[in-house]
Amino acid sequence: MKINSSPDSKWKESRLNRREFLKTQLKGAMWMAAGASGILMPKPVIASALPDVGVAKGAPGPATRAVVELIGGMKTFVKKGSRVVIKPNMSFNHTPEEATTTHPEVVKELVAMCLEAGASRVRVLDNPFTQTLAAKNTEKVCSVIKKGMVHAIVDSSFYKPVEITTGRKFKNTDVMQDVLEADVLIAAPVAKSHSSTGVSLSIKGMMGLIWDRETMHRDYDLSQAIVDLSSLLKPQLAIVDATRVLTTNGPFGPGKVVKMDTVVASGDMVAADAKTVQMCKWYGRRFAPRQIKHIRYAHEQGLGRMDIENLSVKRIDV
Amino acid sequence: MRFQRVVQFISFISFIVLLWLAAFPLVSPVPVDVFLGLDPVIFWGTALSTRSFASLIWFSLIVLAFTVFIGRFFCSTICPMGATIDFTDRLIRSKQKKTVQQPTHAKSLKYLKYQLLLVILGSALMGVSLVFIASPISLITHFYGLIIHPALCLIADKLLIIARPVADYFDITSLSYAQIAVPNFALQWFSAILFVLIFACAVWTPRFWCRYLCPSGAIFALFSVNPFWKRQVSEECIQCGRCQKHCPMSAIGEHPFETEHSECIVCETCVKVCPVNAVSFTCTGFKKTTLSPAFSKSRRKFIWAGASGVGAGIVSLTDMKSFHQDSAIAKIIPPELIRPPGALPEKDFLARCVRCGECMKACPSNTLQPIGLAAGFSAFFSPKITPGRGPCESLCNVCGHVCPTGAIRPLPVEEKIWAKMGTAHILKHKCLAWEFNKKCMVCDEVCPYNAIEFKVTPGSSVAVPFINESKCSGCGFCEHFCPVHANAAIMVEPMGALRIEQGSHREKAKQMGLSLQIKKARDEAPEAYPLPEYDGQGLPPGFTE
Repeated sequence: MKINSSPDSKWKESRLNRREFLKTQLKGAMWMAAGASGILMPKPVIASALPDVGVAKGAPGPATRAVVELIGGMKTFVKKGSRVVIKPNMSFNHTPEEATTTHPEVVKELVAMCLEAGASRVRVLDNPFTQTLAAKNTEKVCSVIKKGMVHAIVDSSFYKPVEITTGRKFKNTDVMQDVLEADVLIAAPVAKSHSSTGVSLSIKGMMGLIWDRETMHRDYDLSQAIVDLSSLLKPQLAIVDATRVLTTNGPFGPGKVVKMDTVVASGDMVAADAKTVQMCKWYGRRFAPRQIKHIRYAHEQGLGRMDIENLSVKRIDV
Repeated sequence: MRFQRVVQFISFISFIVLLWLAAFPLVSPVPVDVFLGLDPVIFWGTALSTRSFASLIWFSLIVLAFTVFIGRFFCSTICPMGATIDFTDRLIRSKQKKTVQQPTHAKSLKYLKYQLLLVILGSALMGVSLVFIASPISLITHFYGLIIHPALCLIADKLLIIARPVADYFDITSLSYAQIAVPNFALQWFSAILFVLIFACAVWTPRFWCRYLCPSGAIFALFSVNPFWKRQVSEECIQCGRCQKHCPMSAIGEHPFETEHSECIVCETCVKVCPVNAVSFTCTGFKKTTLSPAFSKSRRKFIWAGASGVGAGIVSLTDMKSFHQDSAIAKIIPPELIRPPGALPEKDFLARCVRCGECMKACPSNTLQPIGLAAGFSAFFSPKITPGRGPCESLCNVCGHVCPTGAIRPLPVEEKIWAKMGTAHILKHKCLAWEFNKKCMVCDEVCPYNAIEFKVTPGSSVAVPFINESKCSGCGFCEHFCPVHANAAIMVEPMGALRIEQGSHREKAKQMGLSLQIKKARDEAPEAYPLPEYDGQGLPPGFTE
């Protein structure tokens, strides 16, 4: 049932614009579009010079820049004049060392690259329930570039009702208006374990853009609800900050933090998450991406690909 | 503008600024509860009910000392209740004739404030504090802190929503993303009606509250029967009666020469309105030139008032919910009565708490709410933690630091963390994990004390929560964020609250075997967290085969 039609139609409109934009891209530069829109392609394009997934090793900032360059550069995702929303994890009153929130340097580098690519508006948004230390730290670090981009949105008036037309079970929610009006959504989660969903990465992170997530726990199968939500909020670019990984006792910790100095990136959020799951040891063990229910569901629903072995992965050390 | 008005304005603004600064983090250079410390009924009532001067602010004694010399200056200059009433009087009485004849009932009504004072002192004698029923500074703090402050926040919030598109267009992000948390309070209608009634009394006379009801005014009156510096009328007086008509306190007798100094608040309205400048305030020493004070005539009434206060104390003490008896307290306290961190033992807490609402105003998560009559009349409007509304922020200790009477101890943060407020317990029949086999672990995620553990037990397909009571502080994060609706599937009850009059909460808690620490990964090396034993037995939480 539609609660309010106007934001919904706006959303559809903006999605349509993106789709049209991608079509133009396909016509214009086939190889570039293939890299950018892996999500739309049934099989990886063998001829593509660009990998489906990039993995960079290095310090948070430089690794972020390197990995985005690796998969085609920010211009592949952010066009001149684009309105961009970056969604890091800023949930807690924790410092980066605790590995429960995205490293501010990762966010700062993303912001810088978006602006360099000509974005007209960049916002870094999350709903952590209260103003958190992580949000303050991120704002502080990003304010070197520009002030006023980072916001913890904890006031309901910033959210607008939308229908999740592609959702199987979870069909209505309230999403931040900025996100609904954005041309590009970039997921920038920290890599961490999660006692409900196994891991909390790009797909799970979309829960931080809506108002009422309690209902997802209470009224649905959480993994299905997460996938339904990410079918609406489907980031065009996923950057997973695995510079430090909370491998046990997530999402809040404290748990075993493993320093991996790695940033994973992909135009396919499922592939980025799958790669992260595959490359880390969780609770001291190796897991296949399919062992994370929401990653498996997302793959099965065609939101992206978790079969890393069939995708091209490129690495770089910085 | 008269000097009195200037001082009154400055004092009122100071009061408002200090109340506004009563917030977390506390940044005020002066104690934010200074005005509450000036109220003599708070001082004497609390000193008497607790049999102690500890934790009280002594400023009211200075005010009383001044009162002996210059009369009830407090009422016309310092008192924010007086300033507010002056203002509301002006609004309400603007349509009416500015002047009033002395109402015929005035004489007997003037006794009311003494009677109210004696009721408060009488019950304080019995160890029951009824200061809250009429302490003017408590009430006005309540009014501005719990009525006006939320109202202004609400209006500001609505204006922000309107301004947002404009601010966004001009890219003023500080405005377009400004978010104002609007505090909500229980018993808001009660409070609103109470203050409407107090202010609406202006329809009868100006400063109705100050003339007839204010027990602090009564104390000041007792100290200003014949002050050093007082109203004098010279021979030039033409007996026009203007001063009598304009006196907001009706302190001038039947003859304009007569002044009832205990009623005079030295506002000097009479000086201003006198057409022949016959009225002045001068130092006369303690020479008597006055009407005899009202109260000496009716000793009988006062004995009755004092006795009724003692009676009120006795009624409170024999109330089923009374905390002044030791028997079976633990069984009859309402389960929602979770006191703020560092609250004194209940009996002492109630003897000190004056219900000013300063702690509730200052509380950043709005969890401190006034209770109604659930814990008896003597606990009416006292603060309690309401996890449903918000959790008690782990690193905030502001409530204790703004409390004017020490009912909540001003603990440093490292002590406050150990001031256990209660204990959470799980309602398994409502829990999404226990009852519905859902993978919910929100309580564990939000618990700042790491007091919740998820374990896979025989018979459950998902990990289910357990509470480690010795680590639980009763802060209510779990209850607040539990996705299960009223009631939550995990709730805090006052059981196990650590409430001590003196000494260290930390030491006491450790003696009791508690371990209340804020969980932070950076405190300990990763080796401190051994990998759970999931090998072969099962999967780590959240993973599937």
